[in-house]
Amino acid sequence: MSDEILIIDKDTSHAKALGVYLERKRMEAYLASTCEDVMVLFDNISTEIVLADPGLPDMQMISLLKQIKTTHPKLQIIVMVTPDQFDHAMAELKHDAVHYLMKPVKSTALDMAMYQARSWISLNSRLEANEKKLKVFRHTQNLFQQLFDEVPCYISVQDRQFRLTATNRMFKNDFGDEIGSHCFEVYKHRGSPCQHCPVADTFKDGQPHTTEEVVTSKSGEQYNVITWTAPIRNGDGDITQVMEMSTNITQIRQLQDHLTSLGLMIGSMSHGVKGMLTALDGGIYQLETGLEKNDKERTQRAFGQVKQMTGRIRKMVLEILYYAKSRELRYQSTDMVEMADKVVGDAMAIASKNGVRLEANISPSLGFVDVDPTWLQAALVNFVENAIDACTYDRSKDDHIVKVDAFETASDRICFIIQDNGMGMDQETREKMFTLFFTSKGSQGTGLGLFIANRVIRQHGGSINVESEIRKGSRFQICLPRSQSDPPKRVDIPGKELETEKDETDNQK
Amino acid sequence: MKKILIVDDDPNIIDYLTTLFEDNGYSTFSARDVKEGLEIAKKETPDLITLDLEMPEEWGPRFYRKMCQEKKLKNIPVIVISGLSGGDHAIGKAVAFVSKPFDRENLMKIVKETLQ
Repeated sequence: MSDEILIIDKDTSHAKALGVYLERKRMEAYLASTCEDVMVLFDNISTEIVLADPGLPDMQMISLLKQIKTTHPKLQIIVMVTPDQFDHAMAELKHDAVHYLMKPVKSTALDMAMYQARSWISLNSRLEANEKKLKVFRHTQNLFQQLFDEVPCYISVQDRQFRLTATNRMFKNDFGDEIGSHCFEVYKHRGSPCQHCPVADTFKDGQPHTTEEVVTSKSGEQYNVITWTAPIRNGDGDITQVMEMSTNITQIRQLQDHLTSLGLMIGSMSHGVKGMLTALDGGIYQLETGLEKNDKERTQRAFGQVKQMTGRIRKMVLEILYYAKSRELRYQSTDMVEMADKVVGDAMAIASKNGVRLEANISPSLGFVDVDPTWLQAALVNFVENAIDACTYDRSKDDHIVKVDAFETASDRICFIIQDNGMGMDQETREKMFTLFFTSKGSQGTGLGLFIANRVIRQHGGSINVESEIRKGSRFQICLPRSQSDPPKRVDIPGKELETEKDETDNQK
Repeated sequence: MKKILIVDDDPNIIDYLTTLFEDNGYSTFSARDVKEGLEIAKKETPDLITLDLEMPEEWGPRFYRKMCQEKKLKNIPVIVISGLSGGDHAIGKAVAFVSKPFDRENLMKIVKETLQ
């Protein structure tokens, strides 16, 4: 609150009288009678209130007051004029003055004017302080919003019904701008709350909780996340909302899976190799003894076995090479009828050895397609051989058949349907069959075949659709585009890519 | 003639062992999984069983456990023939663990000694 006041009046005795009055009210009064006095005093005192007679009709003081008001906008000017100058003064100064008093100034009127001026000053200073606070608040808010948005994890704020009330940028990017939706709908595509919910736990006990979850993004990708929760309290200390922060650890989990798979691979592969070598040994033994005994039938059977084992070992070595080495597919225009015939021809021997009928229905109008013939043929053989294996392992019936259909679709895609009535797949096998090192064939599988076959089909821009029912059989539909519009894709080393291959879920039952 | 039951999921290995044992004067039966193996064992009461460890559905040790629950089967000697590393402890009471790929003469020596 100002303690100083500048009194401007040509009538010095009137000024003095006012000064005495105001000093009694504990104010320090400075007196000025000319414009020069005002200017000198104004430079030396820090008054916020001026009580002035503008000395009309002379306009000099009026312009000085106006000028001072522009340079000191907070200055409160109280004007005192004789009644005949009252309107003139008001017309000239307008809002530049806070109050107009009639001369001779009465003490009550002066007190009221002083009170009003002081109120204005006080209001102004509070407004200023608030403005400053608001600026700091805006800056802090901006900073926190930036922090909230830029934190490299998903943040959501939820109410007691698990409705999202705020989400950060990363959350919006991967899960959509879903304010108002339920957390379980957005994260897990569920219709009801999850059984163990860390947010519910935090609402209950006010403590932070952590869980590991698998969530599904708006584009259908699955992420492994570690979730932390923290309570948000109101002024009374009651929990009104809970913040949930989730860190995406998918890559770490994939790396772990991959390392586990690598360990499994070494076991499964060495096991597979041992089995094949034993079978090859068996073939050689039978070949030797067959020749010794002049047993034509045994020799023939042995020869077939040696041939089959050599083929299997060759295939396994190729698969290991494919897995271990980065290579590019070599596309060339390939006669698909010829390839389909080769695929069926390759599988025929194994089918007949295992008592499985192999029926092929190859459309003669498949024509030529841009593919890498070596790898595509290997992939297709893999599907057919798997179908035969599924029949061989099936003990629930005697009559087994594998059907291979190849045709052209209306949308100019070449499709192969490989269908068997073998043992079928359970859900776990269906979900994991394209995963690296997953095998359902015990010692006879390496877990590489379908992984690579799937990869090859995908690199050709193709799709795989699988239907299967346990003990009834499986149906694989593989479709390829006729031409490769993109340049040949590089086959990455799966170990570096950290990718667990999955089937094309959109096509999969 | 002594009877040997071969339990292995790989038909090529069954073929091999069948020929090998028959060439050495034994009669053989074969099964490609635990269920079938137990059925044949109960029916034929073999003098010796060769058992693979890793097979689809149920694996070797389960076969052994189930066979030990049968009075007339529990004393039949079992030779484990497997490519599983560290599989030699899977069936503690087996007369021998033969690792794939095996030495033919060594296997026959064990078989002959067991069946004497």
